[in-house]
Amino acid sequence: MAEIGQVRIRIPSSIKRGDVVRVRSLVIHPMEIVQRDKAGKPVDKNYRFINRMIVTYNGREILQADTTQSISENPFFSFAFKPSEAGTLKITFLDTHGGKYEGTADIKFS
Amino acid sequence: MTRLEALLSAGLFLGVGLALGCAGTERPSTAGLPPTPWASRALPEAQGEIKTSPDGRKMQVRYRGWTTEDFGQFRTYAYDDPRPAPAVSRLSMPQVKGDPREGRKLFLSRAKGPCTGCHLIPGDDVWPAGNVGPDLSTFGDRNLPDDYVFTQVYDSRNFFPHTTMPPWGTTGALKPEEIVHIVAYLQTLKGPLSPEKDPNRNPDTRAKPVGFGDNLDPTNNPGIVLAEGAMSLWNKRGPAGKACGDCHAGGPAKAMKGVATRYPNYVKAFQRVMSIEDFLTVHAPGTTGLPMLAESDENLSTTMLIKMQSNGMPVQVDLVSPEARAAFERGRASFWKRVGQRDHACADCHTKGAGRGADKFLGGRLLADVDAGLTKHFPLWRTSVGAVWDMRKRMQWCMTPLGMNMLPADAVEYAELELFLTSFDNGKPMSVPGIRH
Repeated sequence: MAEIGQVRIRIPSSIKRGDVVRVRSLVIHPMEIVQRDKAGKPVDKNYRFINRMIVTYNGREILQADTTQSISENPFFSFAFKPSEAGTLKITFLDTHGGKYEGTADIKFS
Repeated sequence: MTRLEALLSAGLFLGVGLALGCAGTERPSTAGLPPTPWASRALPEAQGEIKTSPDGRKMQVRYRGWTTEDFGQFRTYAYDDPRPAPAVSRLSMPQVKGDPREGRKLFLSRAKGPCTGCHLIPGDDVWPAGNVGPDLSTFGDRNLPDDYVFTQVYDSRNFFPHTTMPPWGTTGALKPEEIVHIVAYLQTLKGPLSPEKDPNRNPDTRAKPVGFGDNLDPTNNPGIVLAEGAMSLWNKRGPAGKACGDCHAGGPAKAMKGVATRYPNYVKAFQRVMSIEDFLTVHAPGTTGLPMLAESDENLSTTMLIKMQSNGMPVQVDLVSPEARAAFERGRASFWKRVGQRDHACADCHTKGAGRGADKFLGGRLLADVDAGLTKHFPLWRTSVGAVWDMRKRMQWCMTPLGMNMLPADAVEYAELELFLTSFDNGKPMSVPGIRH
C-alpha cells in the first residue's frame, strides 16, 4: 500500500472562468471494517476509518461530509463546484483516531 | 532464348531449388533457449501443476475460481510438446432425430461453445452474440443438406483447411448427437427477419466499448496506488542485508527510467528471454534474499513501479541479437500454433481477415488486434475482476476456456511469445498500469 494519508486530487487540466469543476479525490487509508465475534456480534471498539471530509476554497469552507462507517479502503470522493476566482482548493480528511490528512490543488483559469 | 540463356536460367532454377531444399531441412535455431529446463518460480497456483486425485482423476491446479479440468490430451505451447494438431476426421451423421429446441439450447450453452460467441441467431435472449463467424440468422434458407451441415460443425476442416472454427466433433467438445440437434435447429432458421429492436443485440451494429478513462489518473485506476505501494518493498532490506535502493541509487524514478522499454529481453546471466516479472523472480532473491514469486502481489506491484518509470517512452525491445531473433521466431511460431481442445491459435482471434477475430466481437468482448500492440499497458487493472493482471496471467486465462493446460507463468514459451507480441509495440509509448475490462 502506498503511504497512508496521501491525498490525491485530480482536477481538469484546463478550466475556463464560469466552468463547473469536477474534482476527484482519493485518500490512502486502510479504513478498518467492523469485526464480528464468533456469535456474529460486532466487536465494540474504536475502529479506525475516515469519518469526516472538509473542503475549503481560499480558506472558505465549501463542503463538509460525514461518513458514519468505513466506506472502502482508499476511499474515493468526487464533487463539483463553480470557482468564481482562481485559488487553492484544500481537502482535509479526518479519521476516528485523530488522523488528519490534507491535500491541495491550485485552480487557475486558462 | 539462346542456348546460353537457357542454360543460365536452368542453372539459376537449380540453384534456387537447392537453397529451398536446404532451408526446408534446416532445424530451427535453439539460440536463446536456456540450456537446462527452467524451474518455475511462480506461486503454486500459477505453475500449472497436474495432480491426481485419490479416485485417479487428473486435474490441473489453477487460480481460485478457475476450472481445474485437465486438458492434458490436447497440445500446448510447450516446446517439448511435439504432438501434431488433431487429424481431420469425419463421421456419418448418426441416425437420431434432431430436436430443434434442444439444438437451440446447445447453441446458446455457455458450457459448450457457446456457438453465439461467434455467430448471431434470432431471439432477444441471444445476448451477447459475436461476429467472428458468419451471421446464421437465415441459415436455413441456404437449403444445405443435413449431412453437409453436420460435417461442417463436426470438423469444418473437411471443407475449409484453414478455418478458424474449432473441430467440435473431432476433439469431443460436442457429442455427435448434440451436433444432430444443432443441425436440426439451424435448418429452421428462415427469413424474413423481424426488425431489430436494439442495435446493440447485433454485433455488426453494436457500439464499440469506449474504455475506462485515463489509466494514469490515480483516482481512476487503483493499479497506481498498488504500484506506488511497492516503494516500501523497494526500500525493504532482505535477509542479505540489502534493499533494491541500496544498489539502484536515486530511487526508481532515476534508477529505472527507460529500463522497462527493453523488456522482454534476452538476459545473459540467466540464458533466457525474460520480462521484468521473470527477472524479478530470480534477481530479487539473488540480491536482497527476499522471494518475489511470479504472480505474487509483490512481484506485480514492483513490476508496475519499475515499468511506470518508462511511461511515455517508446518501447524498444531488441530483435537483432541472434538470441532475440531466434526467440522472436519461436514466439511467432507459438502465435500461429493451433493448441488445445478448440484447436485455436492466438492469430485466430488477434489478426485481421475473413473469419479472423481482430476488431470483431467474441460474445460481448471486442477482440484486440495484435498490430495495435497488446503489451505496452501491462500489467493492468482489470475492472471485471478488481485485480492487477500481468501479460502472463492474461495468456494463461486466454487459453483455459479454449481447452489447453496452462504453462507456468514464468515459462520460457510465454516469455518468447510476449517478446513477439511486444515487437508490435516497438516505437509506441508505454503506459503502465493500463485499465481494461
